[in-house]
Amino acid sequence: MTSCLLPRRGLAAVLLSGAIAALGWTTARADALSDIQKAGVLKAGVFEDFPPFASAGSDMSLHGYDIDVANALATTLGVKLALVGVTGQNRIPYLNEHKVDILLSVGWSTEREKVIDFTAAYAPYYIAVLGPHALAVPDAAAMAGKTIGVNRGTLEDTSLTKAAPPTADIKRFDNYNGVISAFLAGQVQLIAVGNDVGASVLARHPSIEPEQKFQLMSSPDHIALNKNEPAFKKTLDDVITKMKADGSLNKISLQWLQKPLDPKDL
Amino acid sequence: MEFTFWDILRNLLLAARWTLGLSLAGFVCGSSIGLLLLLARISPRKPIRLGAVFYIELFQGTPLLLQLFLVFFGLPLIGLDVQPWMAAGLGLTLWASAYLGEIWRGCVEAIHVSQWDAAAALGLHRAYQFRLVILPQAARIAVAPTVGFLVQLIKATALTSIIGFSELLKTSNVITNATFAPFTVYGVVALIYFAICFPLTRYSKYIERILTVG
Amino acid sequence: MAGFDPNWVVEGAEALANGVAMTVWLIAVTILFGGALSVIGAAARRSRLAWCRGLASGYVELIRNTPFIVQLFFVFFGLPSLGLRLNATVAAILAMTINVSAYGTEIVRAGLDAVAPGQREAGRALGLRGLIIFLFIVLPQALRAVFPALASQMVITMLDSAVVSQIAVRDLTYEADLIQSHTFLSFQTYALVTAIYLGLSILLRRVLGLAGRAVLGPGIS
Repeated sequence: MTSCLLPRRGLAAVLLSGAIAALGWTTARADALSDIQKAGVLKAGVFEDFPPFASAGSDMSLHGYDIDVANALATTLGVKLALVGVTGQNRIPYLNEHKVDILLSVGWSTEREKVIDFTAAYAPYYIAVLGPHALAVPDAAAMAGKTIGVNRGTLEDTSLTKAAPPTADIKRFDNYNGVISAFLAGQVQLIAVGNDVGASVLARHPSIEPEQKFQLMSSPDHIALNKNEPAFKKTLDDVITKMKADGSLNKISLQWLQKPLDPKDL
Repeated sequence: MEFTFWDILRNLLLAARWTLGLSLAGFVCGSSIGLLLLLARISPRKPIRLGAVFYIELFQGTPLLLQLFLVFFGLPLIGLDVQPWMAAGLGLTLWASAYLGEIWRGCVEAIHVSQWDAAAALGLHRAYQFRLVILPQAARIAVAPTVGFLVQLIKATALTSIIGFSELLKTSNVITNATFAPFTVYGVVALIYFAICFPLTRYSKYIERILTVG
Repeated sequence: MAGFDPNWVVEGAEALANGVAMTVWLIAVTILFGGALSVIGAAARRSRLAWCRGLASGYVELIRNTPFIVQLFFVFFGLPSLGLRLNATVAAILAMTINVSAYGTEIVRAGLDAVAPGQREAGRALGLRGLIIFLFIVLPQALRAVFPALASQMVITMLDSAVVSQIAVRDLTYEADLIQSHTFLSFQTYALVTAIYLGLSILLRRVLGLAGRAVLGPGIS
């Protein structure tokens, strides 16, 4: 019974996926800024497991650098803020499908520039390799033969893949929680994350005593929005400029990164 | 804000509501389609029967995780805006319908053919044979395995965390990230699932016992 | 939105082949250890010793009433806190084995219950020891009775193994995740991999049927 159905099943699967791929129109939308103001809510995509930029407090509400910036944006626009949890994998599709209006903690890359727009940078972010104090890893070549955890689909993934020697065993997880938990459980020897995320891990004094080994690249955080939204982009950029000028961004940096905001980091 | 053990437990229990809600929705919707599938599966018309077999083999022969991915990534391709809860609900409904249809088919086929013959001899149309004679008897046998499947469904909701639906497991991932205590958090999660599923499993065994003996 | 582009199939073919190999490896080892553990568990469930019965029964209920992915995360992320750190592949095999054996225990137990007590008595009358009776007279008959259910459970476990991609085991689903993260053709990639899993499940059922007939004699479906 099953064997005679197999060719039919396989063919159906291929035809179905081909047909669906050939479709894919998008509905026309009005300008993002007016849409948001009419709806009265700004939907911001953030990670939920990404301290100190965004992580959960004991009442399960999110707090962090990104949350404070998103709040400031919503206040300026005069709308409510709705936070949407995203993963490194689905966040750009979410933005393109208008499930969210903006994304936070987005690093710039030429591939991304093709599909989304970026505001000015609002937070420093250095991608670094972290490891236990006892393990000597002075540079990228020293990663040979070691296991490294990274969040799949992020710039950490791209830069690590480029820099790592062929014998390095890169383990890609779905989300930052998997990466950090695997690292703390000793399931991977090293991880590639932002240096402030690493500092956040270190601040909880885990027994393996992690430290930053070396930096891969500087990738300051931008806010991402959909392309062809000049009014929205200008509004967001204006808010960031204002926050830099009046010291509020510096205050956020002091609170969450324990250091003042240095313009050359951005 | 540090998490105490009570914070962990409280937040997980609150998240368990979503697990239960999704399970219920999947069960109700899956049952509706499962019933149609059952009727198709025992239909005297070959194309309808084969269509049902095709559907059941497809959903029982592929991983639930991939079915969820296909729904989640596939629907936007045809222009629909898909939220995780929609994809989770639809994915679990289709999966559950295949299993429920098959379970109920087994129960219907367990009714001896003489029952159908006797009903036909009374002059009943096939649809009435089914509704008045076969269905009540089959339903009796079906309760135990159906409740048993409900347990499978509740456990299956854990996979929807991967497509971003905020139920018990996804919440526990967020808490693990905030507390660095996977042993405690996943341990409590396992106990919560156990507390939900074990009574249902026992109930299923109890039903099986009293309906078989009685 | 790109159309159906055949090139990505060629590029990803090697990755997918590796993924299939890993998935097959995982389920093969699980069937071996899981089968053995199921028999041991079934025997324990029917033991004369109350503590033995209780332990086996507790194990079965605990595993069958909790999701596999939670068991997997517990083994991979949680056990290291107790000092037991298993690498991802070993953790996956351990979790899969423990999981399938809980169901297998109940299935084999039903099979053992179905074997007529007269078989044991006849064995004793022939002067055979208990263990020999169990392994060569009772167990084969029990397995013949429940083989389809046992085979089904193994196929279910293979399909469940898609989840081990979450702990970065390079199985078929992991490779699919990787391919679609580069090509952005998520639906197409997962559709292809779903078809591969369907093929694997049909193949596994066939192979288990053949193996069953080879070991237990004709009449196994």
